[in-house]
Amino acid sequence: MMKKIKGQFAIAIVSIFLGIILALQFKTVTKTVGEGILPTQRAQQLAIELKKAQEERDAALKALNEAENKIAQYERGEADNNVYVENLYNDLEKYRALAGYVDLQGPGVIIEIYDPPVDVQYGIEYSIVDDIDLILQTISVLNAAQAEAISINDQRYTAYTEIVRAGDHIEVNGVSINSPIVIKAIGDPETLESALSIKRGIVWTLRFYDYTVNLIKDDNIVIPKYRKLIEFVYSQPVKEQVN
Amino acid sequence: MKINRTDLTVFSVSVILGIILAVQVKQKVPQMIPVTLKSIESTKNEINALNKEIEELKIMIKDKEEKIKTYESIVSGDENIVDLLKEELYKNKAVAGFETVKGPGIIVKMEDNMDENAFGQSFDLDLIHDADVLRIINDLRVAGAEAISINGQRVLSMSEIKCGGPVIRINGKSVGVPIYIKAIGDPQLLSAAINAPNTYGYALKTIDQISIETTMEDEIIIPAYSGAFEFKYAKPIREGD
Repeated sequence: MMKKIKGQFAIAIVSIFLGIILALQFKTVTKTVGEGILPTQRAQQLAIELKKAQEERDAALKALNEAENKIAQYERGEADNNVYVENLYNDLEKYRALAGYVDLQGPGVIIEIYDPPVDVQYGIEYSIVDDIDLILQTISVLNAAQAEAISINDQRYTAYTEIVRAGDHIEVNGVSINSPIVIKAIGDPETLESALSIKRGIVWTLRFYDYTVNLIKDDNIVIPKYRKLIEFVYSQPVKEQVN
Repeated sequence: MKINRTDLTVFSVSVILGIILAVQVKQKVPQMIPVTLKSIESTKNEINALNKEIEELKIMIKDKEEKIKTYESIVSGDENIVDLLKEELYKNKAVAGFETVKGPGIIVKMEDNMDENAFGQSFDLDLIHDADVLRIINDLRVAGAEAISINGQRVLSMSEIKCGGPVIRINGKSVGVPIYIKAIGDPQLLSAAINAPNTYGYALKTIDQISIETTMEDEIIIPAYSGAFEFKYAKPIREGD
C-alpha cells in the first residue's frame, strides 16, 4: 500500500513541476508575441508590418524628392535669366550639400564592422555597442583624410549627428541601427584607405579587439541626405559686416 | 499475466503524450524558420525606427511645400527671388557652420591632470585623448548643441579631432591644452550632459582625474569655420540634370 502511494506521489510532484514550467513558458512567450498567437504567426505579422512601414517610408522619401525637384526648377528657372541669381543659386547648392541636405555620390571607401564572434569558452560577448569610441574615432580619421561626406548605415553624418547606445543597439540621428555597422565616405579612395589602414590605426585597433572589418574602395558611393529638419532655437546670427 | 492498474495508467498517458508531441512536431515542420523571441523584438524595433523616420520626413515635406507656395507667389510677381535665395543661402550656411552665431550655452575647460601623483600604473590615463574629446562633443550633441567650437575652431561634420602629443589637431590646425569647448544650446541640458553622474564627462573627472570645468553662459559667440571648402570628389545627385 505504501509503495503504491509513494509512486503516485512522485508522479504527482513531477507533474506539478511540469505544469509550473509550462505555465511560465507560456507567459514569457505570450508577453513577447501576443495573446493566443504562435510565434511564427506573429513573426509573419510583423514581417508584413515591416514591409508596409518600409513602403510608406519610401513613398515619403519619394514625395520629398519630388518637392525638392520642384523647388529646384523654380530656382533654376530664375537663375537662367540672371547671372547674379545663377551664382547665388550655385552657392546655395554648395552650402546645402555642406549642411547635409543633398544626396551625394562619388568615389570613396566602405568600411563594414561586424561584431566579434562570441567567445564561448569564457562566455564573454560584446559588440560594437560597447565601443562607440571606435566609431567616433573612425569618423575622425576619415575626416582627417579629407572625407567630403560620411554616412553610417545610410544615416548622413552631420554636425548635429549623435551616436548613442540604446539598450543593445546603437542610435544614429535618432534612428536605431543594427550590426553590421557600414560606414561610407566619399573622397580620394587611396588617401582614405591608407589613413584607415596604418599600423596601430583604427582598422588595426578594431581588429585587435576581434571585430571583423572589411575595407573596400569603391568608384561610386551614394551618401543620402540628412532627413531631419534642423531649426536653430538658441543660436542667433551675428552680422559682422553690412553686405 | 497480471496487468497492474498503475502501469496501465502510465502507459496510456505516455501514449497520449506521444501522440500530442507527434502532432505538434508535424505541424511545425512546414514552418521551419527558427523564430526566436529576439528576432521578434528586433523586428519590432525596426518598425518603430521606420515610423519615426516617416514622421521626420513628413515634417520636411511640409516645409518644402511651404517653400513651393512661396516660389509660386514669386512667379506671379509678388516677391523677389533674390531675397529668398539669400535667406536660404544664409540658413544653409549657418547649419553647415559657415556663419558666426551667438546664444546661451556652456564653456567646458579640459586640462590634463596636473597632479604629481599619476593615477594608476599607466600615466597615459591622466592625459586627454581624442576619444575623450570626441565623446564629450558627442554628448553635447545629444543634449542639443546647435554649434560647437574647440579653442576657437568651429566643429563641422568634416572636422577631424586627432591627438598629436601635447597638442590636438582640429580642422588642420593645432591647438594646445587647456582645451576650451564652447557650445550653444540649453545651458542646463548641456551642463547635465557633462556633469551628471553616469556621463562620460563625469567618469573622466572622477576616475581619470582629468580636470573638467563647465561654466554656463548667457551669451557665447561661436565663430564661423575659418577655412574654405570645395567638393572635389562628391557630386550632388539631382534628377533631370
